[in-house]
Amino acid sequence: MPIIVNLDVMMAKRKMSSGELAEKIGISQANLSILKTGKAKAIRFSTLEAICEALKCQPGDILAYEKQD
Amino acid sequence: MWTRKKSIYLSKLCVIEFIILLVGLIATAPWLVNLFLSFSRAPLQGTKPYFLATIYIGAVPAAILLYSLLKLLEHIELGAVFIEKNVTYLRHISWACFAGALIAIASSFYYIPWVFIAIAAAFMGLIVRVVKNIVGQAVELKNESDYTI
Repeated sequence: MPIIVNLDVMMAKRKMSSGELAEKIGISQANLSILKTGKAKAIRFSTLEAICEALKCQPGDILAYEKQD
Repeated sequence: MWTRKKSIYLSKLCVIEFIILLVGLIATAPWLVNLFLSFSRAPLQGTKPYFLATIYIGAVPAAILLYSLLKLLEHIELGAVFIEKNVTYLRHISWACFAGALIAIASSFYYIPWVFIAIAAAFMGLIVRVVKNIVGQAVELKNESDYTI
């Protein structure tokens, strides 16, 4: 998928662990892992909102578009 | 009280009964054909080998169909309904029906009533195929839902 999830980068910048973020945004660690590894097919606005709030960032800091050949 | 579990159990029991019937049919086919030929008023002299061939060849798709049905019910029992494997089993069932229809239509050259079996089998295959397409779409929807975070 040409949409890249840069959650790891943002988490490292904020020095936040997966467990802590999962707890803050109210999803399981397994689901957070799906999101981090780029296996997710879609992301809810409510999840995106919770992530942005927890990491104090913008959606563009987490998601990026990369053209595939 | 009638429950989902009991319903699946009943379906599995019916499939197992059909498997036993199929094994019984294969084991007693020569005797059954003799019995049929002695009762039938149609001019069927010398058709015993054809009847036996139809039964033995037809038993192959029938066995595949029953096995797929049993596995499908096992998955449903475990709560795994919308999975890719079930779509594969439904595809096998559908093709087994079409294979049965082909065998029956080929057998109609010596006994015309096989045509009715062929039509029924082809119709059944068509219905299962539509169900397979629906389940296939449901599997895609479920995957999308499962991977929506």
